[in-house]
Amino acid sequence: MRKLGSNTNARVQEDANLDPVLLAIMANRMDAICREMTNTVLFSARSAVIGIARDFSCAIITAEDEVLSVAEAMPIHVFGMHLQTASMSKHHPAFREGDAFLDNDPYVGNSHSADHTILVPVFHKGEHFFTVGVKAHQADIGNSQPTTYFAAARDVYQEGALIFPCVQVQRDFKNNEDIIRMCQRRIRVPEQWYGDYLAAIGAARIGERRLKDFINKYGAKAVHKFIENWLNYSERRTTDAIQALPSGQFVAEAEHDPIDKYIPLGLRIKADINIDSDNGKITVDLTDNPDCVDAGLNLTQATATMSATQAVLCCLDSDIPHNSGSLRRIDVILRENCIVGIPRFPHSCSVATTNMTDTIINAILAGFTQLGDGYGFSQGNMCNGAGTGVCSGKDWRMGGAPYVNQMFMSAGGMPASAQNDGMHGMVNPVSVGLVYRDSIEVNEQRFPFLVDCVRALEDSCGAGRRRGGPASEVIFGPRQDEMLVINISNGLINVPQGVLGGMSAKPGFQICLASDGSRQVYSTDAYCHLMPGDRLHAVDNGGGGYGDPLDREPERVLSDVAERYVSREQALKVYGVIITGSGELDDLAVDIQSTESVRLSRKTATQT
Amino acid sequence: MSYRIAVDTGGTFTDVVVADEHGNLVVGKSLTTPNNVFSGMSSALDNAAANLGVEADSILKETGVLTYGTTRSTNAIITSSAAKTALLVTKGFPDTLTYRHGGKREPLNLKMEFPDPYIPRRLTEEIAERINSEGGVESPLDVELASEIIQSLEPKRIEAIAVSFLWSIMNPSHELQVGQLIEKFLPNVPYTLSHQLNPIIREFPRTSSTAIDASLKPLMQKHFIELESSLRTAGYEGEFLVSTSSGGIKHVTDVVEKPIFTVKSGPAMAPLAGIAYAEAENLGNDIIIVDTGGTTFDVSLIRSGEIKYTRDTWLNGEWIGHNLGLSSVDIRSVGAGGGSIAWIDSGGLLRVGPDSAGADPGPACYGTGGNKPTVTDAAVVMGYIDPNHFLGGRMSLDTNAAAKVVEEISDKLDMSTEETAAGILEIAGEQMIKAIQEITVQDGVNPAESILVAGGGAAGLNIIPIAKSLGCSQVLLPKTAGALSACGGHYSNIVSEHSASRYSSTEDFDFDGVSKIFSDINAKLDAEQKSLQSRGVNSFDREYFVEARYLNQQWEMEFKLPMQAIENPRDVELLTEEFHNVHFRRYAVKEEGGTIECINWKGRLIAEMDKPPHAHAELNTSSKFDADRTVSAYFSDKGQCQTPVYVGADLPEKSEIVGPAIIEEPTTTVVVYPDSIAQVTAGGHYLLTPK
Repeated sequence: MRKLGSNTNARVQEDANLDPVLLAIMANRMDAICREMTNTVLFSARSAVIGIARDFSCAIITAEDEVLSVAEAMPIHVFGMHLQTASMSKHHPAFREGDAFLDNDPYVGNSHSADHTILVPVFHKGEHFFTVGVKAHQADIGNSQPTTYFAAARDVYQEGALIFPCVQVQRDFKNNEDIIRMCQRRIRVPEQWYGDYLAAIGAARIGERRLKDFINKYGAKAVHKFIENWLNYSERRTTDAIQALPSGQFVAEAEHDPIDKYIPLGLRIKADINIDSDNGKITVDLTDNPDCVDAGLNLTQATATMSATQAVLCCLDSDIPHNSGSLRRIDVILRENCIVGIPRFPHSCSVATTNMTDTIINAILAGFTQLGDGYGFSQGNMCNGAGTGVCSGKDWRMGGAPYVNQMFMSAGGMPASAQNDGMHGMVNPVSVGLVYRDSIEVNEQRFPFLVDCVRALEDSCGAGRRRGGPASEVIFGPRQDEMLVINISNGLINVPQGVLGGMSAKPGFQICLASDGSRQVYSTDAYCHLMPGDRLHAVDNGGGGYGDPLDREPERVLSDVAERYVSREQALKVYGVIITGSGELDDLAVDIQSTESVRLSRKTATQT
Repeated sequence: MSYRIAVDTGGTFTDVVVADEHGNLVVGKSLTTPNNVFSGMSSALDNAAANLGVEADSILKETGVLTYGTTRSTNAIITSSAAKTALLVTKGFPDTLTYRHGGKREPLNLKMEFPDPYIPRRLTEEIAERINSEGGVESPLDVELASEIIQSLEPKRIEAIAVSFLWSIMNPSHELQVGQLIEKFLPNVPYTLSHQLNPIIREFPRTSSTAIDASLKPLMQKHFIELESSLRTAGYEGEFLVSTSSGGIKHVTDVVEKPIFTVKSGPAMAPLAGIAYAEAENLGNDIIIVDTGGTTFDVSLIRSGEIKYTRDTWLNGEWIGHNLGLSSVDIRSVGAGGGSIAWIDSGGLLRVGPDSAGADPGPACYGTGGNKPTVTDAAVVMGYIDPNHFLGGRMSLDTNAAAKVVEEISDKLDMSTEETAAGILEIAGEQMIKAIQEITVQDGVNPAESILVAGGGAAGLNIIPIAKSLGCSQVLLPKTAGALSACGGHYSNIVSEHSASRYSSTEDFDFDGVSKIFSDINAKLDAEQKSLQSRGVNSFDREYFVEARYLNQQWEMEFKLPMQAIENPRDVELLTEEFHNVHFRRYAVKEEGGTIECINWKGRLIAEMDKPPHAHAELNTSSKFDADRTVSAYFSDKGQCQTPVYVGADLPEKSEIVGPAIIEEPTTTVVVYPDSIAQVTAGGHYLLTPK
């Protein structure tokens, strides 16, 4: 029996691990620090993409370049931060207290150039312990077009972003004004960018202060021990979760829609997955995929690795801490010059955080159902419709002041699992429902457009024993001046797939209903030039179904009919459930006997 | 003798606190009787009367003011048992309550069922009408269609109606017309219009508060009428006041019109007790109030004597539950209380909560079927709770059962039973620390510079190590800690708030528009002030608030205006300066010279009520006091210690007790950790100094 000492350092012995109580307490503190940083960015951010879409993440990275703690960060952002801190040490070997670095280099470890990352090294008595990372998707980064998702970018030059390969932006806690001025000259709505920069720096400095307190409180020895133990703990949890799966090797696939001339036939993404249950290890091989394309769709090393990892972690226990420890059990194999691998300069990776990433995630989520019923998920919404597009124009109400902003009005359906129906609000697989939504009133106050409708659509979920989340419909248009909406949608041809007998969702669409009565249907890479009175009508995807719809409990179908997620016709046609009563009297019920006989005859028919 | 009474009806217990004219507070407790609230209230009053040595009837007859707090409305929301309510919204936007703000916890968890909206989609009806952001009519109200829809609600047996249209805050004509149609076609169905209840921008919180308010009307109106009638029958002739979520009280007639104000009103009273106690003991006015219950730990905050408010209060979970939408006392709750269950995860880590044994089956030591180790079991194992003296000896506990369930996990951890129990208490404490840090640091408050006021039956078990960890040098644990919310009722004022939306940028300030907003708000406050004056209230104060943001910032920040009106550029400068300061305090940055956008405005009327004087407690006057007995208790850094147990009533003023020691009060237990000091104050409370 070990004896507990009277202070923390006495609780730390040279060869022993921290006791499980102290380990839990220190991990809790780390989590609290990340959360405080996260709240700081969220509530002080200027652009919707940060303040509403939460498209930012805060992380604590060790001096040995291991991601240690991330709280509730956007998963796609987190891994790769260790590559960025390595780059900091390489380019600024003499970094010191008071320094801050700005990095958005897609060729080294950043997710894509729109994600500006602030790195602040944290010292205790002269020793470098941690680096705090705050990564946030900027509303604009000075691209040649007013979008940060520039699918048509032939290369990094046409994309036009300012690239900062780990550049010093603060020394002695003061800005390097040269860098600030460069950004302000090039980035659209510069005060918005500067406000977001302040939010990120503020959060990083708060994280720095708290970490210094943390080291002071527990002492250097305990902190070193904590880092080692916490990463090992995370690894152990991951190993356990993998060992609970059956071993197996399978190929997971999903298809992205064609995009004009860049991928005229669409693109099928393959992931070779090997689950080694005995050794508690999963390998995802993404090498058997096409080369980089001359468009902004290429992934970066960080997003290729993380999209595969994120999907695998979703299929394990969601309570596992996500850090470099858990990552030791998941190998993602990439190759150079691959569209879902390591990009070759100067290929553009402008859209590296959504489209191909979404495709990998959907492929793997559904791929895991090859292990059998109970594993994996169906696929979720992959249509980044106009409701999440970037709008720009001039506002007559503000004397013609220009605006550019990404909207978050659509929802999209989440995937179903063996146990639960898909939720609302997927937005896309990579953002896993973390995204907040715009208030319609706030949008209309800020931007000169009028929204006609935002709703969840009936019969839009892929049917199944568990159904997908519903698709959303958004209709809006400019009031007096013209407006440009840019988005790169997907999900218009290839749809979220159902699994194990579950049905697929419906394709999305995006149409301009012009005031003169004409209609224009947009393809995946949509540039919607809208005139006053025009209406943009956009529908995204529901999630796919999981399992046979005939196995869905009649009371769930009844609730879906009452709640207008599924029509009565569909209840009979797809689910074989006969509903009686009327919505007018609010007395809908299931005709149990007829339902049982309809279901029985249909099942017999399929078996014979 | 004249008395005042404060009642807090919780889910399990009804607390009654009687104050006599010297300011002595006496607590009575009884089980809540949900079917006839008065019956439980009456037994709790009997209990308090017995402690005072007086007849309950005579107390009731000699009481001038009774304040009543209830969890009834909160429970109705949490258990979806409010009225069958229909929601009428602008055509095209039926999913405002379904989608909420978006967002969820646990990024990688896709295995969650989507929670139902507060009003089902099947009872949500779309009305053809549309106002734009400047208040212009884009499409007129289709009166014929609206009439048909309202009439179609009757066969559905709808009991209440909520109406929330886009931009009704800029032009309420459509909502008002629909209100008239409801009165015409369904004259007996109560309804709420969003622009009247909560005129703020953002359709989700406004619609949510409207739906909640309407759904509570039938239930709460019946409740208050019945309760008042029972009180009158029992001979009560004084004022009947009700606690509200904004940390004030209102006359029952005012609350009946807006029952949403009673939601979460119980915990909203706790900070008032905190201020009263801390001020009486001259402990300053930066106060953190914590309340440890059976399943949750609630924290609220007072900075420079001002209670911290929020517009982001959720029931049934942040983001996925139901948003109150109104400005209310900011109360952070974490699932850590006496009933929280300890377990070991697959990585070998000791965890506590969020599952709780609650009251049923309860902790293992209750002997009522619980078989998992809880925080209370840990406290029994450590010797902090005496199995024969729990709740003043009214309930006996099973020590062996507690030891057995703790042993089950200590074996796996390779630690002793006592070490494990200490670990359970320490980890539960850690979650409490995190909740305190979240509410304080987010507001730029350093917990180390604040006084902690601890309430709740289980607060005394670990408040000293919590305070030590936060760097707080002092903790005040009131004698009445077991009924902190009810005590707060005695120190409350009548508070009334009115909000309005008006966009204005500091770049080009809209003096006329904002001054119109101020006069609208003032007109409402004037009317209330007049009605209160007619009831004999004479002392009034007003405060004004703005929700503002830097140009294009996504979220507004509310702060108190350093003035009573905005009339000239100097006032705008002062507003701007205050915004920069508050922003810097909360987010560590400010944008010098940045433009500020003001969104929502709020006025608050405070009508001062007479309060009980601060009593000089009747304490043991001899200078000698002895321990009642000595027990063996476990402390992490000392191991098993022979620990004296004192009975609170035996302790004279200013007596100092150096830990290890345990002090027992009828509704709470104070554990004085080794070398820490407990001092009895003039009010008979405990001032704890962690060491």
